[in-house]
Amino acid sequence: MNLVIDPLPPHFMATLLAGISVNFAIAGMALTLGLGLGSLLALARVQGPLGRGAAAMLIGLMRAAPTFVVMFFLLNALPRGTLSGVMVVAISLVPYAAAYVADSAVDAIRQYRAGSTLACFLILPNIARAFFVLVMSSSAGAAVGVAEGIAVILRQAEKLPTLGGKLVLFAIGIACFGIPLQAGFALIRLIQRRLGRLAARNRDTASGGEGRPVDGVVPPLSGAANRG
Amino acid sequence: MRSLKCMSSKSAPILAETSHPRLLWRLPLAAACVVTLAAAAHAAESPDAALAALLNEARAAATPDACAHGAAEDRLVLAFCAGHLRIGVRVEYPLFASRAGARREGYEIDVANALAQKLGVEADFVNVKAANRIAMLGDDSVDLVIATMGDNTQRETQVRFVRPHYYQSQTVLVGPPEAVVTGWPDVRDRTVCATVGNASNAELVTNGVRLMLFDDASLLPERLADQTCAFAAQDDSFFAYSFTLPDFAASFSEKFGFSELPWGMGVAREGSDKLARALDLTSQLFHRDGVFLAAARANRIHTAFLERQQAVWSRPGCDRDGGASDPACVLPGANAELQATPFAGQVAAFEHWFDGWSGFELSLPMLKTAAAWSLFLNGAANSLILIAGALMSTLVFALGFGFATGARSPLLRWPARGVTVALQSSPILLTLVITAALMHALVPSSPAMALGAAIVALGLANGSNAGQAIAEAYVTLRAEQGRAAGDPKGLFARALHRSSTQIVAFLINAAKGTPIASFIGAPELLSALTDITSFSSGRATTYTLLLVFYTAVVAIVVWLCRRFQVLFARSSVAA
Repeated sequence: MNLVIDPLPPHFMATLLAGISVNFAIAGMALTLGLGLGSLLALARVQGPLGRGAAAMLIGLMRAAPTFVVMFFLLNALPRGTLSGVMVVAISLVPYAAAYVADSAVDAIRQYRAGSTLACFLILPNIARAFFVLVMSSSAGAAVGVAEGIAVILRQAEKLPTLGGKLVLFAIGIACFGIPLQAGFALIRLIQRRLGRLAARNRDTASGGEGRPVDGVVPPLSGAANRG
Repeated sequence: MRSLKCMSSKSAPILAETSHPRLLWRLPLAAACVVTLAAAAHAAESPDAALAALLNEARAAATPDACAHGAAEDRLVLAFCAGHLRIGVRVEYPLFASRAGARREGYEIDVANALAQKLGVEADFVNVKAANRIAMLGDDSVDLVIATMGDNTQRETQVRFVRPHYYQSQTVLVGPPEAVVTGWPDVRDRTVCATVGNASNAELVTNGVRLMLFDDASLLPERLADQTCAFAAQDDSFFAYSFTLPDFAASFSEKFGFSELPWGMGVAREGSDKLARALDLTSQLFHRDGVFLAAARANRIHTAFLERQQAVWSRPGCDRDGGASDPACVLPGANAELQATPFAGQVAAFEHWFDGWSGFELSLPMLKTAAAWSLFLNGAANSLILIAGALMSTLVFALGFGFATGARSPLLRWPARGVTVALQSSPILLTLVITAALMHALVPSSPAMALGAAIVALGLANGSNAGQAIAEAYVTLRAEQGRAAGDPKGLFARALHRSSTQIVAFLINAAKGTPIASFIGAPELLSALTDITSFSSGRATTYTLLLVFYTAVVAIVVWLCRRFQVLFARSSVAA
């Protein structure tokens, strides 16, 4: 145990938690922007055929754009100093968030039109799931110098001389990210179950939408349909 | 008094008769004559005399009439007309040129003042930046630029550099004192912070260093201090000031230097012949007489180059008029030209046409130089290999996790579930780093190893989740069929069919995640283009093309996966 704890500076955990809070902030910003854009796209998709076609094409493009490349694109294509590193990471996640929200919102609208109000509310746990996926994805910021949680871990790992010490540090990182993530997903499962029971009780068919994972980061609830 | 009439070669017979007593008195006279002749000859071709003659000539040309009617053509004569020389200097380059209110200080300021004094004019300082210093010479806003400007073959086509050079910088790698780094092998595959456009980036890249690029060098000390950067590479002249700060000096040290670059004062290529020659001669004298060296010492900057130059310009072979054009004495500019591709001309023509047609400035640096083209081709090929590998490994891991997680045996099921939860809880970047660290423990670090690690990491992250979906489908099928569930192989195939949407989603996700491999040094396209743009222009175009490339590739993967899904569904129905 000494091998593990000794190399870590006393303020490491505080720095790590501060870094993880940056991940949450980035995810919050990305989701907020994604909600706005995704809602507009969802409305366009359920309107006339012209809007539907354009929105579907845009959503398809956003779905195909790799977050990591979008991040580097924003960093290099925009005039210098336009956006901070945190904002660049947040905006790079918006295509994923917006496409996810649009898909979930289209489902919700269809459920509502079909008379299933409760199934419509399944959009809420889906958005909560997207938030946690975005938290994990925001670790890409480490590649562009954003001081988020993974960047803190990797910096500390540079100073550790042994692979064993590094692996223990990485395990701490996984635990710090994993605990809120798994707790969040447990909460989502609970909400979904409650909604499902309510829906069954009301004889409404509730089918929960499942979003696609953002590049490399995957939601653990994989039972529901994953529309591509 | 006997006139001292010195003889030339004809005096040899006299010297041969030195044993004759009558001729003995002539010996010291002859020696004195030789010394005097040599001294006179040297004086005639000394840089001091040449400078004095040149300045006299220019002063003579600066008549009130010539000055009033604009007849003076050379900037040296114009400087005498005006009584001052307009010198472009930087304002935020500590130790070299900085400004606080009206007060300017630094090595370049001292050099500028000494030059003006030597020419007999006032120094009229004009603020310049790295971005506009050459343009300001071109539009006659300044007569002379002394602004941390490296002399390279590319700039020599735009500026007349004064020779000899007044300073030489090199790029230094700076890092924490405890890091044992003495050469390139120690930083191979490590991330080094650098600035965009730095000519030394090409050398970093070719030595296997991964770059984290910043727009502004002033960010580097901060990023080192907050540990965003473990190492930073930048001119030693830039870090010179940081090392005067006790905290920085205690926390960091110079590891090694490379990419030496002589600094030159610059004048306009047109209308500055006399000024350039006067400055050439003055620079010679300043090296020989230690003026540059004294200014450097006064400003606490590196002096090794200036000490070597003082020795060079004190040699008789160099300490003469014309020494500044003698390759044995003067340093050449750095060669900044990269070998062009055979089709660079057509690419440039296309860029020009596109600019005129669309109004957008298109720059395709990856097609213009051989080094960039090679990086680009390798990057594109490696990206396709990476995507294919990530898809394969995702599929393999999905089947493995699906089988293990859905197994009846808890010895197989629970470890698989534990690994799945751990992988789900780990951000992909961390999974990637962990995989690379583990693989590095087994095999030496190399680009191929990085590609392999990325393929495994992406396969694990996505395959574990797809495997969970397969297992859930398998379990539900088993529950639905109860005891009627027959052949486990057939059940597993049906589970694959039921979870095919999930599998496809994670395959697509694996393809989308491949650019992240650049973080551990996998030489894929993002990594290659980052390297290319670190030493060339056209970042906006390059990253736009990169985005188009990856989006198109992912779209193709999506289409292929959908086709596969349809075919798989048909075969399942047929079975």
